[in-house]
Amino acid sequence: MRLVIAEDLFLLREGLVRLLEAHGFEIAAAVDSAPGLLQALLEHKPDASVVDVRLPPSFTDDGLRAAIEARRQIPGLPVLVLSQYVEQLYARELLADQAGAVGYLLKDRVFNDDRFADAIRTVAAGGTVMDPEVVAKLMGRRARDEPITRLTAREREVLKLMAEGRSNSAIAQRLFISEKAVGKHSTSIFTKLDLAPSTDDNRRVLAVLAFLNS
Amino acid sequence: MGHPDGMYIGLLVVAGVALLAWRWQAVRSWAERVAWRPYREAGLLVGLLALAFCVVSLLTNNSPWPATVVVPATVWLIFCAPPPARKFAPVAMVVAGVVGVALTVSRVSSPAAYSGPGQGEWASAVAARYQSWRAALLVESLVFLAVGCWLMWRARPQAPTSVRRPRWGLLLLPLTVAALVLLINQQQTGHSEASTAAAIAGAALLIAIVFPTVSADLAAVAVIALGLFSLIDVVTPPRGVAGAFAVTAGGTPQGPMYGAIDRPVVMLAAVECGAILALGAWLVPRTIGAHARVLLGREADAELVGRVQQLTQTRAVAVDSAAAELRRVERDLHDGAQARLVALGMSLRAAERLIPTSPQAAIALVAEARDSSSKALTELRDLVRGMYPPVLADRGLADAVQALALDTPVRTETDIDLPGRLEQPVEAACYFAIAEALTNAVKHSDARLVQIRIRHEGRPAPGVLRVDVTDNGTGGADPANGSGLLGVERRLATFDGILAVSSPVGGPTIIVMEIPCALSSRRTSSC
Repeated sequence: MRLVIAEDLFLLREGLVRLLEAHGFEIAAAVDSAPGLLQALLEHKPDASVVDVRLPPSFTDDGLRAAIEARRQIPGLPVLVLSQYVEQLYARELLADQAGAVGYLLKDRVFNDDRFADAIRTVAAGGTVMDPEVVAKLMGRRARDEPITRLTAREREVLKLMAEGRSNSAIAQRLFISEKAVGKHSTSIFTKLDLAPSTDDNRRVLAVLAFLNS
Repeated sequence: MGHPDGMYIGLLVVAGVALLAWRWQAVRSWAERVAWRPYREAGLLVGLLALAFCVVSLLTNNSPWPATVVVPATVWLIFCAPPPARKFAPVAMVVAGVVGVALTVSRVSSPAAYSGPGQGEWASAVAARYQSWRAALLVESLVFLAVGCWLMWRARPQAPTSVRRPRWGLLLLPLTVAALVLLINQQQTGHSEASTAAAIAGAALLIAIVFPTVSADLAAVAVIALGLFSLIDVVTPPRGVAGAFAVTAGGTPQGPMYGAIDRPVVMLAAVECGAILALGAWLVPRTIGAHARVLLGREADAELVGRVQQLTQTRAVAVDSAAAELRRVERDLHDGAQARLVALGMSLRAAERLIPTSPQAAIALVAEARDSSSKALTELRDLVRGMYPPVLADRGLADAVQALALDTPVRTETDIDLPGRLEQPVEAACYFAIAEALTNAVKHSDARLVQIRIRHEGRPAPGVLRVDVTDNGTGGADPANGSGLLGVERRLATFDGILAVSSPVGGPTIIVMEIPCALSSRRTSSC
């Protein structure tokens, strides 16, 4: 699996390259600026990319903007965005095109390299991976008069894990229920959120999006 | 109608009422600002003068001498013993009013009673003269009566008596009325003078309402001018003091009657003229004199002095809060991330030692170290967010507030229209102010909906940022009570910003912030 990595700090960039190579990824390019990232993404069309939000030249959210621009030109280009902090605002912007294949994680999730590698694979496969911190903030809100409030507590738990990018089997394992039960819950979630029948992956993305927009 | 004067004055009255309606807010706030004290102080002098007039009229009639006792006593009362004079004034005004009305309707209204032995031309001249005096006296007496009653009703002993400049502007009105009376008395010829006088009175009213300070200066000048005018009138024959006494003594063709009637009036005029000049001399240093001193550079401009004081104060607050913030950061780093890094180093060192002997234990320690670094990162992240939120740095106020709204556990609607970026310190101050308002809404008000509205108005230059935070909670927020909003108010004051809170019990709570600031057209570059 070919990756493009964008990170401006040399030590972190090298660390990421080493870590991901150890997990069997092939690094097509490792760049240190937003223009370089855009160029590399359009040129290599990688299976996935790992992008730092804050990049030169302006050291604000250039990485995020470059990733969104690349996805505008190549719809559905898998992007996993890393940041020192997570914002729901940025998560929504990433998900806005509804194409899926998006991840948004805190940088320290890299410590758990197995989970991190899984997340990259999920994104590459078109899934959505949201940082537990983003999800936790969403769950912390009070009930509102919106579709999401129609979900039962269990369904909300399933949706939360779904947003974190976990597979049905992982969710089943985590909640100590059968995979069949997870499937039943997710069908119920899709119905309650008025999501038209389509491929399971796409509906998962839409469900997460509805969750974020709630 | 018939008489053109009636129409003219009617038009003026309509215009005056329209003016009052148009500037009603200004008039009200002005009236609240000056309160009733200026009326009392101005009324005091007028009342005492009226009293002197009554005493002179009643006691002397033919002889001017008692006036020499009454006049110094009045002047002494006004200038040397203000508190008793002040208490005395309302009563004096009422008495003067009653006596004046009585005089007008009885004696003076029938000039025939005074015609005495003299007949013909002189009698009719005197009669005409008293007719004109009667109208003026009646108006004056009624005004005295009304003001006196009002003052007695409003009299409160605890009111302070400090002198403030603008309130003397109120004097402009009685002075204009006095000018009006003079004009009518001097030339009892036609309606045009009356109309002119009415127009002048209207203009004076306008000036007193719109420019209270200017009208105070004008009033001082007008008092001096009126005093000088009276002085000239009083001392020059044939109408003046000399004439009045000369005719009595010499038995000139005008006859004794003229002197008998005019003498108290001339004495009153002399008293009035002296008092008016004294009042003018007393007013000048309090009104136009202060301005002159500022203009000549002898005295610092009060506005500038106030501004310097305010800046000194807000600067001290800004420096203090910055220092407190640094201390907080230092403490947080010391107790948080630094301590975690020390623990991390120790865990790694222990693991290093354990690797050859018990690799399992070493692995556990390394996992612990990783956990420790993760916690250190979380703490650093929270610290950074509290210092300067990353979204604010990246995207500016609009997106940062949107991100804040998304993170708020209560439904929060934003309506933000900012076509550019603000100065960074202003952005930060606004952001934290809004964050504080949101926190209050969530924590204390039990609100179900919060609305944030942000607008930038270009005028007046450099522009004003206006932020409204409204929640539908239980209300009852008091900025004086909780230190949160007080801190926000202080922080905004550094930028000349203001904070207003309206939070009746039962809600809703509306917090309005206004900060004068410019909007730069610079936007963050997009790739």
